[in-house]
Amino acid sequence: MDPQSLQSIIGIAQVLLVLIFGLVCLNLYLVFRLKDIDPFAKWNPNKINGTLFLVFLVVGLIAAVVSTGAWSDYYILITNPASAHGIQIDRMFMNTSIVAAFVTIVTNGLLFYFAWRYRSKDKNQKAYYLAHNNKLEYLWTGIPAVVLTILIVDGIFTWNNIMGDPPQDAIEVEINAKQFDWTFRYPGADMDFGATKVAFINEGAGNMLGFDVNDSKGLDDVVTRELHFPVNTDITLNIKSRDVLHSPTLPHFRVKMDAVPGMPTHFTFRPTVTTDSMRIIRNNPEFDYEMSCQQICGGGHWNMRAIVVVETMEEYQAWLREQKTDKPYFAVTAGDKDNSSDIAENENADQSNVKVDGSVSMNQ
Amino acid sequence: MSTMAHEGNGTFHDELHHHAEDHHGHHHHGNFWTNYVFSQDHKVIAKQFMITGIVMAIIGIFLSLLFRIQLAFPNESFAFMHAILGDWAPDGRLDPNFYLALVTMHGTIMVFFVLTAGLSGTFSNFLIPLQIGARDMASGFINMLSYWFFFVSSVIMLISLFLPTGPASGGWTIYPPLSALPQAVPGSGMGMTLWLISMALFIASSLMGSINYVTTVLNLRTPGLTLNRLPLTIVAFFLTAVIGILSFPVLFSAALLLMFDRLLGTSFYLSDIFIGGELLHYSGGSPVLFQHLFWFLGHPEVYIVLLPALGIASEVISVHSRKPIFGYNFMVLSMLAIGVLSFIVWAHHMFVSGMNPFLGTVFMIFTLVIAVPSAIKAFNYIATLWRGNIQFTPPMLFAIGLVSFFITGGITGVYLGNAALDIPLHDTYFVTAHFHLVMGSASAFGFFAGIYHWFPKFFGRRLNPRLGYIHFWGTFVSLYLVFFPMHFMGFGGVARHYYSNTAFTFMEVFVDLQGFITFAAILGFLVQFTFLANFFYSIFFGKKSTENPWKANTLEWTTPVNPGHGNWPGEIPHVYRGPYEYSRPDVKEDYLPQHIPDEEVERADGFPEHEVPPKRESSPVEVKEVDEE
Ligand code: HEM
Ligand SMILES: [Cu+2]
Ligand SMILES: [Cu+2]
Repeated sequence: MDPQSLQSIIGIAQVLLVLIFGLVCLNLYLVFRLKDIDPFAKWNPNKINGTLFLVFLVVGLIAAVVSTGAWSDYYILITNPASAHGIQIDRMFMNTSIVAAFVTIVTNGLLFYFAWRYRSKDKNQKAYYLAHNNKLEYLWTGIPAVVLTILIVDGIFTWNNIMGDPPQDAIEVEINAKQFDWTFRYPGADMDFGATKVAFINEGAGNMLGFDVNDSKGLDDVVTRELHFPVNTDITLNIKSRDVLHSPTLPHFRVKMDAVPGMPTHFTFRPTVTTDSMRIIRNNPEFDYEMSCQQICGGGHWNMRAIVVVETMEEYQAWLREQKTDKPYFAVTAGDKDNSSDIAENENADQSNVKVDGSVSMNQ
Repeated sequence: MSTMAHEGNGTFHDELHHHAEDHHGHHHHGNFWTNYVFSQDHKVIAKQFMITGIVMAIIGIFLSLLFRIQLAFPNESFAFMHAILGDWAPDGRLDPNFYLALVTMHGTIMVFFVLTAGLSGTFSNFLIPLQIGARDMASGFINMLSYWFFFVSSVIMLISLFLPTGPASGGWTIYPPLSALPQAVPGSGMGMTLWLISMALFIASSLMGSINYVTTVLNLRTPGLTLNRLPLTIVAFFLTAVIGILSFPVLFSAALLLMFDRLLGTSFYLSDIFIGGELLHYSGGSPVLFQHLFWFLGHPEVYIVLLPALGIASEVISVHSRKPIFGYNFMVLSMLAIGVLSFIVWAHHMFVSGMNPFLGTVFMIFTLVIAVPSAIKAFNYIATLWRGNIQFTPPMLFAIGLVSFFITGGITGVYLGNAALDIPLHDTYFVTAHFHLVMGSASAFGFFAGIYHWFPKFFGRRLNPRLGYIHFWGTFVSLYLVFFPMHFMGFGGVARHYYSNTAFTFMEVFVDLQGFITFAAILGFLVQFTFLANFFYSIFFGKKSTENPWKANTLEWTTPVNPGHGNWPGEIPHVYRGPYEYSRPDVKEDYLPQHIPDEEVERADGFPEHEVPPKRESSPVEVKEVDEE
């Protein structure tokens, strides 16, 4: 926060606090000490509170609309979707918002308007005796039911679309979560991942992902700290965690899926806007797609940032080729082709976990 | 003006005057300990729950201010933080682990200790016997145990705040493996153990309370009080208790299995874990299983929190608009529907947890179905105000505020219930905004409405209404200022449970807004002192109340100003009609208490005495507008 706005917030707050405090003291004093010469004794609470409800309605509505607009530049979750399904989600978001805004304004409006309109003006007067009206009840059971059904049908189709079986030719990328960072894995030239297992993790040797060191398919796997996707290509994220729950979230792409230890999860999507294009769209040359963790996972939860780059297929492949693939801890070399692992049998002493010094760096 | 009421009450008051000086009624003459501490009188137990609830609320809200300060000033350090928290704020800045601990304890205390036990414990205990015409709960002893279990559980939860490793830090939903592994976060050591013990006692307390409420409502109603004449408060407390009985045991099982994983090394929730540089032996468990069990309670729990508040709002709105609650039957039916449906929507908290997406479809459907009865309730409240004769007493203000929060917060449930929309919104501030409005704010307002409305019955004195107005407006405005802008942060993708928003460019832009929210929250907190001052001052020095200060219909107002143990000094009144006969045209007064037989009702001019009242049937369209100005 820049110091100037900080200053002004603090300034406003101080004035408000003093004001409130003054009001409270004044009232306590009047109420408890000066019962007899209380200048407000004649105020009619029905009139005041009724009017205040109307004022609240009008001022509140204006404030809500203005403030919603004021921050709208930052609503990355509902503007400029960068994935194919994101467009559908955003459309549904708009539809739901129209319904929601309408309902909120009308019902709150009626609530406060009636409160003001029917404030008691005469204690001896009676209200209008009306205990029920079934037609009205059916009306306001039916209308929400119909509107919700429409929204829900749309939702079901979209959801099934997003969560349906991934296309065969989708590029698979593995996200490995741990406290408190991400490691990504691409299948490499053979288009196939080497086997991994949490039990094979050997931090001392540098085998952070738990590669089966006898599975040569893993030799060319690319392990990175940045996510790169080719644009307009289906991507399947295979999501894993080795300690607690995490939730890789790519807000610009409307992607989120928990990482669950012991159970790989998946999310398939298609990025549609490259980082470069998005920089132009957002008119911000510094812009980067980011990935965050949105499932509480410990002290460093707030700081699990990874950069996401969407680029053309050529750029993507060039980037992929540049990544180092050396894994000195492997028992096999690229020559030994036929070692496709039988993990259970191959398990040997140096794979089972060597306890290292026990210190994991917390990079906060 | 209230001659009729006095005549009506007269029969029961003869004895009252004999007993007026005997504070504890004719049943019970105990000593200080049995009267005020280990009392079995439901009214005393209710007050115990109320005071404990208020203390827990102050603590819970105070914790939230500490972490709100961190959110507003992620890079500043404050000497007072270090002064209060010591090692938890090493250089005047919260430790990230302790930030999570604060969030967790805030959530736990507010959801369970304030809005579950504080709300139900206070009002179910107080109102069930008084409004159904019973001398006490079915089992006063179990009722007393229920409070003391709650008390011990509160104490244990608070003790955990002072552990060197800190209290539980996995969020109020305590998802394992984070909550199971002390290596993952320090709070998962002793802090989590105490959390589980405390919650086990809490669940026991809740069950003892609920079983009592259900039994009492079913068996101890006064003659004439048929189920369809129950005040909506009682219907709400009853359903809440039923929901609690069915769902809390599941939380207990979930907690027990977590305990096994932690202490005995079983693998119910854990599998394939490498942490702190070593491989753990767990295999085959599923963290998702815990989420299913937790939310099987967790979702009903949010209605356990909300329904009593809605019940109180129904009563208060009807009394203070001097009008029958609109659509009594639909109010009951919608509560029933909510009660049933609340058991089959739990997995809407888990759309992106990795569970089978097909489940997502099913739970999406049920979730949006539950929005319908919620909508019905909102419309009925609004219709009750229509052409009412609204008295803006403090309880009425809070009840109207509750309806507003219920609408504004409930509507965002329609976004979240849509699985596809929930993908981006899940675990952002949008969810925080949603449930703080619909559950936190609405239920807190139910609590306040109840306190302001029944204070004369609790303590025989009146609260100062003017402080009540200040309290209401200050709280109402500041709660909206706190929670409405959180939607914006949700749209911006800002994640919940973040120690600081500075690590991401798309979140950083909201730090100013966090500052604004923090100040609104501090404001709201300070305004509560108008309530506390009023509350404690008025208990002892408030204006003395009369028997029926609001001219309400329900039975609690037929007891003496300070009812003793047993509630009615004489015979228990019988009931002749429903509780919401306000402003009936054929009756002289604008209210018609439940306990007055038809032949004793004083008729309005032009209506013959002793007649069976005309069937109530009217349509608003046909009635001519009466000029009220
Ligand atoms: C109008 C009907 C409602 C619908 C459709 C609805 C839907 C939802 C959904 C889908 C979520 C999960 C959001 C997420 O985590 O991504 C949620 C969260 C929540 N809702 Fe509602 N809700 C409704 C009403 C209520 C009510 C009446 C209450 C409380 C009285 C409530 C309390 C909560 C709470 C406490 C959470 C958050 C729990 C957490 O993650 O910590 N909701 N709601
Ligand atoms: Cu995290
Ligand atoms: Cu729920």
